[in-house]
Amino acid sequence: MTTMAASWMKPLDATLHSGPAAADPEAEVLRLLGDQGSSLYRFCRMTLGGADEADDVVQETFLKLLQHLRAGGDRANLRSWLFTVAANACRDRLRSRRRWLPWRVELDHRTVETAEDTPDRRLALDAARGLPPRDRLLLSLRAQGLSYRDIGIAAGIQEGSVGRLLARAVDRWKRRLEAAQGLRPASRREP
Amino acid sequence: MNCLSDAEIQAVVDNEASEDARQHAAGCTRCLARTDARREQVAQIVALGDGDLPSTLEARVRQAVASGRPARGSTALRSSAATAWRRPAPWVSALAAAAIVGLIVFAGLPRFGAPTTLSASEILGRSLQTLTSVRGVEQLEYELLFTGFSGPHRIEQLLDHDHPNRFRVADFGPDGVLQSAFSEDSLARRRSHLVRVDGRNYIIELTSAQAPVVSLPQLAQAQVETVIGLMQATADQKLTTIDGPGGKLYVIQIPTMTPVTGGSVVDLYQARVVIDGGDFGIRELEASGTMLKQPYSVSFKLIRRTIRQAAEVAAAEFAMTPGPGDMVLKGDATNDPVFDVLGTVLRELGRLKGD
Repeated sequence: MTTMAASWMKPLDATLHSGPAAADPEAEVLRLLGDQGSSLYRFCRMTLGGADEADDVVQETFLKLLQHLRAGGDRANLRSWLFTVAANACRDRLRSRRRWLPWRVELDHRTVETAEDTPDRRLALDAARGLPPRDRLLLSLRAQGLSYRDIGIAAGIQEGSVGRLLARAVDRWKRRLEAAQGLRPASRREP
Repeated sequence: MNCLSDAEIQAVVDNEASEDARQHAAGCTRCLARTDARREQVAQIVALGDGDLPSTLEARVRQAVASGRPARGSTALRSSAATAWRRPAPWVSALAAAAIVGLIVFAGLPRFGAPTTLSASEILGRSLQTLTSVRGVEQLEYELLFTGFSGPHRIEQLLDHDHPNRFRVADFGPDGVLQSAFSEDSLARRRSHLVRVDGRNYIIELTSAQAPVVSLPQLAQAQVETVIGLMQATADQKLTTIDGPGGKLYVIQIPTMTPVTGGSVVDLYQARVVIDGGDFGIRELEASGTMLKQPYSVSFKLIRRTIRQAAEVAAAEFAMTPGPGDMVLKGDATNDPVFDVLGTVLRELGRLKGD
């Protein structure tokens, strides 16, 4: 059996504790930046497909967290809070992008692909990029280890629907990948 | 228990399944195989999202947190939800498309010398300077996408910068077929429109044409200058430099801004422009915003550009030459170009009915 990436299985209550830094909003934000920054960045990159916009969303999210804490906002499960805010920002950008006209492919790829990308990984990435925005969002949230409950909150869907929608997203990704690999004809119904 | 659904298999993989489902998956050969297969697919997807927070981004966020506002290059926080977008009126599309035509038309190429370090604002400023400095006859070919277009259009354009209102523009649709064309020659006092209907070209030739109060290129230039000026005035431009096939290119992006209902005549919400590092001509541009409160979104990419002396260009190049099967309608021009076209067509219709 293939070993799954650790993040997929990681428990999600990392931010439930309140440490000494909790009283100081700036210190709390910086602590969360250290704990969750990479995870949030991976989520944004995977959802948006580009590093530039992911950078902006990460910064925007932590600044909103600062405002939230300074305003005396709820400190319970701040990790879920971070991903919900980031997911909303990503959805805004994806919606906006759909209204936009396509940017040059080579410019988009320039920000995402690295020299270490293998052909298989590139195909898998392309298949993920071609998914509908909601599929990408759900898979990206789950890939960072969020529970169905937190995914539901962040994505704005019922918790009871998360498993079904995730299963469909994985199926769509698999079909796109197989089509790209020549194992399956591309379906006209695929978005 | 029956075999598990795809959602239940997914839940088993995600450690979110009920105890009954987990036990079934462990004991059922078929479901166990499905679970393993899905686990492998999921692992592949998870592996796509690798990478740690870059140190530069971490520094940027730390700086932003310390100052309480976005560090350079970030998007400003939205103060309110974006207003709903509506499909723009066709005339607004035409107006904005004309603006982009003008953007290309006036994106001249005077050289400023090799720059060392320039800010995004300085680059935009230099590019803005190029908008009015071209002389001679400029021939352009570019790709244009606009809100409502079904695909990229290719535009061919000829513009005499030495003589106002002397130009020709041809629009080829995504299938490569000529869709429409418009030409005006102030020297010959002639204006022509070409429209393709049901696979046939109809050309309307108008003579004794007077120069309109504001020409299409003038209107477009004003809009383009506004867009570039708005970009220049934006505080949070993001500048990156890339190596293009022809040399250095500047990519300038302005962050998403919150649409404001009842704002200016022209508002820019997002823009991204690619400027040639050698001549500061605009090579590509994407922009969205509102014009007269109607949303628009546009993108263009320059394909080819040449400049000739006016004396080298024959007057016939500003005219529209009918091809086999094209129908030509002739009329006299007034100061109302729309009425001219409609009037000529209706007169021809009346003549045919009268026959």
